[in-house]
Amino acid sequence: MLTKVLSAAHFGLETIPIEVEVNVAKKGFPGFNIIGLPNKSIEEAKERVKTALINSGVEFPNLKIIVNLAPADIPKEGSLYDLPIAIGILASMQEVLMPKEKSFFYGELSLDGGLRHTRGVLLLALAAKNLRIRDVFVPGQSAYEAAVVGGVSVYPVKNLEELVNHLNGAQKINKLPRTKSLKPEAESELVEFDFSEIVGQESAKRAVTIAAAGGHNIFMQGPPGAGKTMLARAIPGISPPLGDEEALEVTKIYSVTGNIPPGGGLIRSRPFRAAHHTTSRIGLIGGGSNPHPGEISLAHNGVLFLDEFPEFPRATLEALRQPMEDGKVSITRIAGSITFPARFMLVAAANPCPCGYLGDPKKECKCSPRMIMKYQAKLSGPLMDRIDLHIQVPAVDVDKLMPASAKASARRSPTSGQIRGKVVKARQVQYKRFKGLKIYNNANMKNKHIKDFCNIDKEALGLLKQAVNTYGLSARTYFRLIKVSQTIADLEQGRKVTAQHVAEALQYRIRAQE
Amino acid sequence: MKQFNRELGKIGENEAASYLGKKGYRVLERNYYTRFGEIDLICTHSNSSGQERLVFVEVKLKQGEDFGTPEEMIDKRKLSQAERMANFYLMANPQILEKYPSFSIDAVCIVVDENRRVKRLNHYENLTF
Repeated sequence: MLTKVLSAAHFGLETIPIEVEVNVAKKGFPGFNIIGLPNKSIEEAKERVKTALINSGVEFPNLKIIVNLAPADIPKEGSLYDLPIAIGILASMQEVLMPKEKSFFYGELSLDGGLRHTRGVLLLALAAKNLRIRDVFVPGQSAYEAAVVGGVSVYPVKNLEELVNHLNGAQKINKLPRTKSLKPEAESELVEFDFSEIVGQESAKRAVTIAAAGGHNIFMQGPPGAGKTMLARAIPGISPPLGDEEALEVTKIYSVTGNIPPGGGLIRSRPFRAAHHTTSRIGLIGGGSNPHPGEISLAHNGVLFLDEFPEFPRATLEALRQPMEDGKVSITRIAGSITFPARFMLVAAANPCPCGYLGDPKKECKCSPRMIMKYQAKLSGPLMDRIDLHIQVPAVDVDKLMPASAKASARRSPTSGQIRGKVVKARQVQYKRFKGLKIYNNANMKNKHIKDFCNIDKEALGLLKQAVNTYGLSARTYFRLIKVSQTIADLEQGRKVTAQHVAEALQYRIRAQE
Repeated sequence: MKQFNRELGKIGENEAASYLGKKGYRVLERNYYTRFGEIDLICTHSNSSGQERLVFVEVKLKQGEDFGTPEEMIDKRKLSQAERMANFYLMANPQILEKYPSFSIDAVCIVVDENRRVKRLNHYENLTF
């Protein structure tokens, strides 16, 4: 008997419905075959399904079973077809009644008949909503992802037996109620450093605050041990939580890459991805023969921290240029072209030279001019042009590190919580400004938005013009300056961008161009 | 153990031969073997339209199904082995090749209990994988 079960396949962030056709034939040599371009993980579904059915108290039929994954010309992968195949076999054996409503079945089976956490459930639920498929049967541990989507009935399934009872009407599974918009979970304790722990570096802290408030790219330069990494790692503590739409975008990417822990739902805290400089280009940008999102997409709507910036291979860094401008990355392979969102805030840290002490007031730099040139040439002009804030993080005075004085400074300097309050307020101004535009911060503004939204006073415009002429700034820099000025104004809840704001923005831009 | 298996195999072959005999198969050869392998039964059979076909039969017997069914023991590799043996046989017997230009491979799967009584016997015609 033939049964058709609906499931889905993901390509990038797109979802295509897949019909799982299961035929259990009385005639013919017994066997179990899966066709429709399955890869190894689907091929292995045979053993999982077989054992799971036996361990759920069903006698596995000693008959000719053929499973076809239609459309048959698309290569398929993943363990998510275990459940539809198992249900298809059961229905073909008339052990279970297929639901009358169109339903999605999705999930990996454990050998004991239980369902395991499976990646991509959020995308499945979104597809169900678009295709007007009412019921979605997914593993219990993944169901919270799906429950975010409205208009779809999500059934969390613990094991096969439970699902069989549900479909046969013996005992219903309770629908998961929609998780309504979602309070940000208690502030994560994962933040490594508090801003008040960082001694000195007041100007750097100010710049980082501006960057976090507007989502601007920032580049920190200084000798080893000055606190660059600490500053960067403290950013999660001052980052505003994700807005509803932002959270959905982030969760989509995390869902499809399997980065959501079992039982997890919508991601509310802003991503912070720190990529080591040995990360490959594909690891950073995304790619592979079956395109997979890279670190820049995992940092979407969040922070991408690249420590030891010049140590990254040149090709890797240059590949960042286009996504930094467009906020997305298109990956084209033979299998097809896939676009992943990649609107991240870049935080880069570097030493000024190979030995690290160039320009240090106390320690002498041992590098030859040639070495310094070579080191600094790794960071190309076009790349640095895309970074809005360039700051120096000088070495900290030993006196300030002494316990007594450190304590005093900790008392004086604001904590991450206090800074966060300011940042969140500035973000709220931005949310309000860009409502309905799918833009969430000043850094994401396109030039036409600058014209529409930025209210720059005359004096400030004059200063901008002067700066562009004096320093020979590019058109891109000009617009980026306005964006940073706007963020500084937002931090003060100012209605207008004044000359003072522009002057501060300018100071972060010019300093590193010496 | 080996002795034991051979005995069982003999039983299986006999059971299969008598079953196929009842079905109208004519056994040409039993336990045909070369140094490359063996084939359990070689038969001819005329189907409903009166056409005669040459059939190579793989017999698989298991005592109890606790360690898997005999069907599970027949896979692609076993089938291609049977096919190779069939070609050997036809090469060695050109007069048969002339009479039956094509052939098929069947399987007979037998399960016996501990007293070696047949619990079930299934005949599968024309295997393809």
